[in-house]
Amino acid sequence: MTAVAPRPTEQARRSLRTEALEARPVNLDGFVEEWPEKGLVAMESDFDPQPSVRVADGVITELDGRARADFDFMDSFIADHAIDVATTEASMALPSVQIARMLIDPGVSRAEVIAVTRGLTPAKVLDVVKLMNVVEIMQGMQKMRARRTPANQAHSTSARDNPLQVAVDAAEGALRGFAELETTLGVVRYAPLVAIALQVGGQVGRGGVLTQCALEEATELELGMRGITAYAETISIYGTESVFVDGDDTPWSKTFLASAYASRGIKMRFTSGTGSEVQMGNAEGRSMLYLEIRCILMAKGAGVQGLQNGSISCIGVPGAVPGGIRAVAAENLVASMMDLECASGNDQSFSHSAMRRTARMLPQLLPGTDFVCSGYSAVPNSDNMFAGSNFDTDDYDDWNTIQRDLQVDGGLRHVREPEVLAVRAKAARVLQALFEHLELPRITDEEVEAATYANSSNDYPFRDVLADLTGAQQVMDRGVTGLDLVRGLEATGFHDVAENLLTVLRQRVSGDLLQTAAVLTADFTPLSAINDANDYAGPGTGYRLQGERWEELKKLRHVTSATDPETEVD
Amino acid sequence: MTTLDAPAERTLTLRETGPATRGTRPDEVVIAVSPAFGDPFTQTIVGVPHAEVLRQLMAGIEEQGVGVRVVRVWGTADLAAVSHIAARLSGSGVSVGLLSRGTAMIHQKDLPRLSNLELFPQSPLLDAPVFRAIGSNAAQYAKGQSPQPVPTRNDQMARPRWQAKAALLHLKEFECIRADAGPVELEVTISR
Amino acid sequence: MSDRLVVGVDIGNSTTEACLALVGPGGAVTHLGTALTRTTGVKGTPASTRGALTAVGRVLAAAGRRSDELDRVLLNEATPVISGLAMETITETVITESTMIGHNPATPGGEGLGVGTTVSVLDLAEHPVAEPAVVVVPPGWDFDDVAAALNAAAARGVPVVAAVLAGDDAVLVTNRLARPVPVVDEVSAVEKVPLGMRAAVEVAAPGRTIRTLSNTYGIATVFELDPDQTRQVSPVARALTGNRSAVVVRTPAGDVTDRRIPVGVLELRGEVRTTKVDVDAGAEAIMAALARVQPLRDAHGEPGTHVGGMLAAVRDTMADTMGDGAGEGAGEGAGEGDAVDCAIRDVLAVDTFVPAEVRGGLAGEITLENAVGLAAMVRTSRSRMQAVASQVAAELGAEAVIGGVEGEMAVLGALTTPGTRAPVVVVDLGGGSTDAASLSADGVCTAVHVAGAGELVTKLVDSELALDDREVAELVKRWPLAKVESFFHVRHEDGTVQFFDQPLPAHVFARVVVLGPEGPVPIGTRHGLDAVRRVRREAKRRVFVVNTLRALRQVAPDGDLRRLEFVVLLGGSALDFEIPDLVADALAEHGVVCGTGNVLGDQGPRNAVASGLVAAHAQDAAPERGSG
Repeated sequence: MTAVAPRPTEQARRSLRTEALEARPVNLDGFVEEWPEKGLVAMESDFDPQPSVRVADGVITELDGRARADFDFMDSFIADHAIDVATTEASMALPSVQIARMLIDPGVSRAEVIAVTRGLTPAKVLDVVKLMNVVEIMQGMQKMRARRTPANQAHSTSARDNPLQVAVDAAEGALRGFAELETTLGVVRYAPLVAIALQVGGQVGRGGVLTQCALEEATELELGMRGITAYAETISIYGTESVFVDGDDTPWSKTFLASAYASRGIKMRFTSGTGSEVQMGNAEGRSMLYLEIRCILMAKGAGVQGLQNGSISCIGVPGAVPGGIRAVAAENLVASMMDLECASGNDQSFSHSAMRRTARMLPQLLPGTDFVCSGYSAVPNSDNMFAGSNFDTDDYDDWNTIQRDLQVDGGLRHVREPEVLAVRAKAARVLQALFEHLELPRITDEEVEAATYANSSNDYPFRDVLADLTGAQQVMDRGVTGLDLVRGLEATGFHDVAENLLTVLRQRVSGDLLQTAAVLTADFTPLSAINDANDYAGPGTGYRLQGERWEELKKLRHVTSATDPETEVD
Repeated sequence: MTTLDAPAERTLTLRETGPATRGTRPDEVVIAVSPAFGDPFTQTIVGVPHAEVLRQLMAGIEEQGVGVRVVRVWGTADLAAVSHIAARLSGSGVSVGLLSRGTAMIHQKDLPRLSNLELFPQSPLLDAPVFRAIGSNAAQYAKGQSPQPVPTRNDQMARPRWQAKAALLHLKEFECIRADAGPVELEVTISR
Repeated sequence: MSDRLVVGVDIGNSTTEACLALVGPGGAVTHLGTALTRTTGVKGTPASTRGALTAVGRVLAAAGRRSDELDRVLLNEATPVISGLAMETITETVITESTMIGHNPATPGGEGLGVGTTVSVLDLAEHPVAEPAVVVVPPGWDFDDVAAALNAAAARGVPVVAAVLAGDDAVLVTNRLARPVPVVDEVSAVEKVPLGMRAAVEVAAPGRTIRTLSNTYGIATVFELDPDQTRQVSPVARALTGNRSAVVVRTPAGDVTDRRIPVGVLELRGEVRTTKVDVDAGAEAIMAALARVQPLRDAHGEPGTHVGGMLAAVRDTMADTMGDGAGEGAGEGAGEGDAVDCAIRDVLAVDTFVPAEVRGGLAGEITLENAVGLAAMVRTSRSRMQAVASQVAAELGAEAVIGGVEGEMAVLGALTTPGTRAPVVVVDLGGGSTDAASLSADGVCTAVHVAGAGELVTKLVDSELALDDREVAELVKRWPLAKVESFFHVRHEDGTVQFFDQPLPAHVFARVVVLGPEGPVPIGTRHGLDAVRRVRREAKRRVFVVNTLRALRQVAPDGDLRRLEFVVLLGGSALDFEIPDLVADALAEHGVVCGTGNVLGDQGPRNAVASGLVAAHAQDAAPERGSG
């Protein structure tokens, strides 16, 4: 029998200072004690396995203390596809501290480190990064990041799934510097219209921006194959067999999906992150980082070029345990150590405290990653259908100022309002014309006007949702492809936008975007680990924020002019 | 007003009366609680006492003139599973499943396990009036009526505040699972 | 001289249709295909050119032809028609001094009648023992506490006879009372209930309605009223009829009134006389006035009223449409000047009702207030089809000619329906207007347009069911209903049951649904299936049956429907699952053969005008003209 009696509540007198502290936003965040037996621990756990490897006849027969007969499917996949059997015994023989030092030693090149890390087991990788403090992790990231030039990625979504809002905010985001744009839906059936809007809006803002639409996997693949999206990212993988099985998936099924994208020359990356397994109650007693390292190795074994990690939607879990944000920084580093593109998180509402939000992203912003945010909200967070990002449109000026203060490149820049208004208006008019051409529900002049000056979805006239959904269905039924969009843009007189989109679509023929960490520059040059390899080798080397780009980042909304202090620099 | 300022603290007593059986009355809703409900846990993730949660759910059902039985599921702490087991025990086929942290679901026996009639996943946003409305809607489904779904709320900042605690409560609840024990009938006493 | 490729294009209000055919030297027609697209902009204006080109492009592509093979594009003389809708509520129920609570909570408690003095639960402890108490409970009280307070008072000897609660707690409280009494709950403005007044609370058994408070003499008996006072309470009794529960409080000046709201005057100017009618007189009076002034030349609403605003807006839209780049090639018959160009040529008034919250009510009581729905139509004689034709010709590299009048073309097209012959009348059931055209045996064609069609039906369904969602109303109009009785079966509106192998989606469980093309869609209403069906059919009857009869009377010889022989229904609404039947039933009384057209034997009620254009061209071209 159970009896629950009410608990007495006592009122002790509190100091005024305590009251002031209690009122601070950080105290709205949740913090929990570690529970290593259940995996509720960031990266330091007695319950993680010890590194070991054994090879016989070219096959790994023991992995981190487990014999091949006892492998779960994650172990098998990693042993057979992720670890370089030829070098593993030599790599594993190196002391962890030596590998950790190689990671931060400017005298050791990125290629030399990769030659070692490709032979490491998950427990060994964990053993290495456990030796590193957060500054060393950043040093490692600075060298190990795949692409020399850092970049950033945005979310462009709408609380009303309004395609027009998605298009104009995509255009503004592209203009502000995001190299990739991502959207998703509240009402999934809206997807075709919103994906078209994102694609077209992005190409108005800056030719060469890549877009994707996060959906259930089959539809996401179909939109990609049709050329309505340019890449894919939300293919989730997990660190334990039980969580994988719960989602009716295996490493092989995910790999098959990855190859479907590759077959059409479409860029894609997997998604994983610390905390997901313990969140679902199936951590099998391992630390969050250990399980994430298994995910990273699985991604490598699957042959995908990159990974979105940094806890992502489970950030509240590592964020609540001691050392959790260090572990998140470490998981980004491990992705880069494994020679994968790393889209490094910072993409989910993380804290009530602005200070904590900023501190959480410094380990990615300061060294630079392939995408500092794998989803900076280019719409107000109230419109963010990924449930809110760590940064949104309100933070644009703060972000730009931090870049200028520390002289680091976080992928964005300040843009003057007339330019912003111009691309927003153009994106709206282009979408209006394209919808008209494709006989999709009309976008009125009133909507175009509202879109030009809007902040959030509340600033737009209501659309006829039923008509939009019917239109969205027609896009699918009529088999509209990216080429139809190009044709429509050309027919409606937007030759430049048509040209931009066609050039993006053409990349899937050359396959250049399948290279690690590939993005397209404004002149459509694919920039990847092949032609823009990270060559950091200590002070004065690697990517430096200087020259034209630095001049660009010196601009802010309000900077007093030195020549005429009564005016501001324009 | 006098009564609301100091909400009356109540004591919840749950007494097992034997294995849960399938109901025959078409006008009943079965509420199923998870293994740790009431003991060792006493309140939801945001501190709504379990006594009040059950009292309001049962009141919502009673106000609709529908009968209620309460069972405890020992074998799982998965909300969909708890709710579906209860739906299959319910004479009307309608059930309310309840986890200790407050997450709730209205289920129906003919639905696939992973589907539901209404789901309330954001446990931090569930308070006494919401539990009353959940009970009321479940009873109306049992009567074959079409209630408006209980409005679900959303809060992006629930993640930083509650995600880890929810994970912790989930793990603790899992500790209380008795894999080999079947669902049991509970006699509920709520007293002041 | 070989066969020539021609295409007929009909630019309608909402759809643009094309009909592709080969016309032989002898006028023989070989049909190659048809196409349909949405009309771009207002029909007959240059904006509609793009839709026409799309339709032509589609029909050519489907037939595997190129535009340079086209000999001629035949366009209809599309005169723009713009319609507008308005809804005016003309009655209002007002409760003064909070004399009654007439809402119907889903779950009241107890049963029977309790008469006593209203007292707040806060003052119950001091209530005199001799005085029967009707306890009033403000929001926030827990049901356990309310029951305890009532039980304590009863134990003290106070005759607690009834209770009125703010929260949804009536059954909970009643179940906890030592002696149950009638309890009415969910009274949201309970603080406005006057205290210290004599009051009666009545709750009927489930499935029953109240008997005492819905009866004037019942109220008189309870409150010991004299005949004059009794006369005053009769609206109260009427307002409570059909309720399962009610509260009546006797206050010195309390009253319920049902008053008419003056909503403005409609001025109808006919050819010979002008008349004015109050809109709140209702649809019958408006339509009678309209009949007196026929044919209508223009209509005006009193400025500052909703009707005035609506008519002005319709007029302005037309003026803008026609004014935009005006001056170029007007068709024949123009020249009446701008003011006449944008005249309202027809009005349809329909009586309807709108669920509205009662003013002065305490629990969000809803009554059905009377309302008038109005559709108005502007038709202009000035066409800008010449501009459309020039653009089409330039784009396709083929001659574009403007063919005959729409009505005549529709008749010609309709006559391709198997089993028809002249004399014949076609009725085009559209979205904004209902059009009729008749072809007499001697080849004389008459055409009329009357205001009100599918859009008005949608509006009536939306407001009468209080959906406040045009999209759902549109679905209700278009598709049959069903009730989801379990996850594996639905009962259709005709009573038949359909079973499913796979469970239906959870969000439709136990709901009244529309069986649309994408599966069942739940309707957000508390009404049962029968009520929704009645509203839908009534709306269609009041618009389409009434308008068909109105239009036919105008084209029938001497206005006598019995002298019509064949009536062919055309247009989008003729595809509806019940409108053709409703119309046919109504016409059967007049001995008219009526059915949905089947243009070219396979197009159904679609493509009549486009096919008619081709047919007319073939007739004209055959004997004398070889080529253009």
